Amino acid sequence: MSRAAPGTGAVAGRWPAGRAVGVGALIVLVVLAVLPLLGGTSNATLLTLTLMLTSIGVAINWNLTGGFTGYVDFGHAVWFGIGAYATAILISLQSNGPQVGWPPVPAILVGALVAGFLAAIIGRATMRLKGPYFSIAMLGTFVAVREIVRVWSPLTGGGVGLTLPPYLNRALFYYVELALVTVLVVGTWWLRRTRFGAALVAIREDEVGAETRGIDTTRLKTAVFSFAGLSTGLFGALWAYQNTFVDPDIAFVEVRTIDAVMGTMLGGLGTVAGPVLGAAALYWVRELLWTHLLDAHLLAQGVLLIVIVLFVPRGLVGLVDRRGTSLFELWGWKGWSRGLRQGPVAGGEAEAAS
Amino acid sequence: MSYFAQALVNGIALGGMYTILVLGFSIIWGVMGVINLAHGEFVMVGAYLAWMASDFWDVDPFISAPVVFVVMLLFGYLVQRVLVNRIIDRSSLVSLLVMFGVSIILQSVMKIAFSADFRLANTDLDGAWRLSDQLTIPVTRFWILVVAVGVTAGLGLFLGHSRLGKSIRAAAQNREAARIVGVDVKKVYAVTFALCIGLTGVAGALISPLLAVQPFQGPPLTLKAFAITAMAGLGSVRGALGGAMVLGMVEAMLALYVDRIGTNLAVVASFVLLVAALVLRPQGIFKGLRHVDATST
Repeated sequence: MSRAAPGTGAVAGRWPAGRAVGVGALIVLVVLAVLPLLGGTSNATLLTLTLMLTSIGVAINWNLTGGFTGYVDFGHAVWFGIGAYATAILISLQSNGPQVGWPPVPAILVGALVAGFLAAIIGRATMRLKGPYFSIAMLGTFVAVREIVRVWSPLTGGGVGLTLPPYLNRALFYYVELALVTVLVVGTWWLRRTRFGAALVAIREDEVGAETRGIDTTRLKTAVFSFAGLSTGLFGALWAYQNTFVDPDIAFVEVRTIDAVMGTMLGGLGTVAGPVLGAAALYWVRELLWTHLLDAHLLAQGVLLIVIVLFVPRGLVGLVDRRGTSLFELWGWKGWSRGLRQGPVAGGEAEAAS
Repeated sequence: MSYFAQALVNGIALGGMYTILVLGFSIIWGVMGVINLAHGEFVMVGAYLAWMASDFWDVDPFISAPVVFVVMLLFGYLVQRVLVNRIIDRSSLVSLLVMFGVSIILQSVMKIAFSADFRLANTDLDGAWRLSDQLTIPVTRFWILVVAVGVTAGLGLFLGHSRLGKSIRAAAQNREAARIVGVDVKKVYAVTFALCIGLTGVAGALISPLLAVQPFQGPPLTLKAFAITAMAGLGSVRGALGGAMVLGMVEAMLALYVDRIGTNLAVVASFVLLVAALVLRPQGIFKGLRHVDATST
């Protein structure tokens, strides 16, 4: 992605469009930031928005490994659950009856660190596997950790779960998560412009090639995997507080992974804005399906997944890209989507399109 | 000692169950290169069919199994024509995600149709044979083992000696070469997929008296099938038997030696086996239909 000096012909034409995206994103951010200050925003609305931000955050983290390095993680929700559980355990610590739990902030931070630490350990083993083997190994990690949490009752409360003291300040959680998501978006955008980001894409495109060119692929991919685990753990920790209750079946749900995968696919795998747009869109679609279809919402989601994979493999961002707009030039989407054409999703058939 | 003998018997019985559960998954992967993430859901559909036969018409799952086979064969053929044909040439991520979508759809449909209640089919072949005070043989599992061994032998003969079986192996080893020597690869894939889904449905029917039939029983079964296949070599019939016995034995021993929680750790065990097998011996322990290398460097 070359950033030529403004004023040179073709590039000058693209700048206003790129700037428009930046301004648009800023406007959305400001609207989201002022929303709670306006009267009439109920706690329920705030919770809905916070959960949407959670969903977006997890999708961004999933995209770091799934989209950028091409390691498709089918058990990403495990870090969410571990973050939630670690926090819940620290808070509900008891010694002979009275609660001697930790205060919220350190509990949340340590919860996230535990998730990141475990991600570093498990990632070292599972990231040696490639393609579908990695995916299934992570699915296995997810199922196995859930069972361990269920069995380890002295620490985790077993199948009964743990109850947290209510600490309900919806607006506070909303702002914290809004800030986190903003940091993640800016962070991924910035990451793409660093050598580190380029190295991650190189791993996706040709891991052996990257290695022969002196990139320490094992270290880099484990690093990004651990960071994604830590970050998703942080969202899990925050979620545990807001939910005030964790048990194995609500802290570790497959749907959270499915949402991250689907949201990212819908938006555009390996793009900066993809997971944000996709996860947000998916969240509202699901809310609609939930209210109108009840039981059938999962069915609709399965159909949607198949349709996206078969017919819109490059996602929403790819749709815009194909129309020849350079709307997303500023965020480096041209480069991303070009990579994606040879990437894991589009596979062979997209070469004909290019 | 006698507890150990009992665990040994349980392990072999469990291994028989896993053998029949894993064969369809293993062969689809080995021949077509498609990882059928909806495998557990096809088992679940087969189990529901057998439960319906048992509950509505009082037909024993061991008797309804052939009917379930035919129904699932047709269902598998339909899925192959509508979906699998489209994804077979594409990257493994596409087939993983599409089959994942299929699994969500099947779970959801079954939940809408039958609710999430746990069901069990009735069979006359239940109970246990007492050999001594501390050694019993579970009857249902014994007969499943018999069927599993029979099916394994039959499949081995079919793949090894029949013309169609040879075409299937040829298509698995080298698709282009098979096409050149006149194998209709599309037809081979359609037959393979339909046959394997039929077999998977039979597995579901046979375990319906043992394992609670419910819409969400699939994912752990898929995981176990994956673990066994990865251990055993893709599409290897003998390997499936061997890998299934290993997993069954590990689970039975866990249940014996780890007090109370051992049975819950079964799925953890299959995961540990899976990762260990993949990392240590990525090409599989037995020689499969397709060469595989799971590690990246």
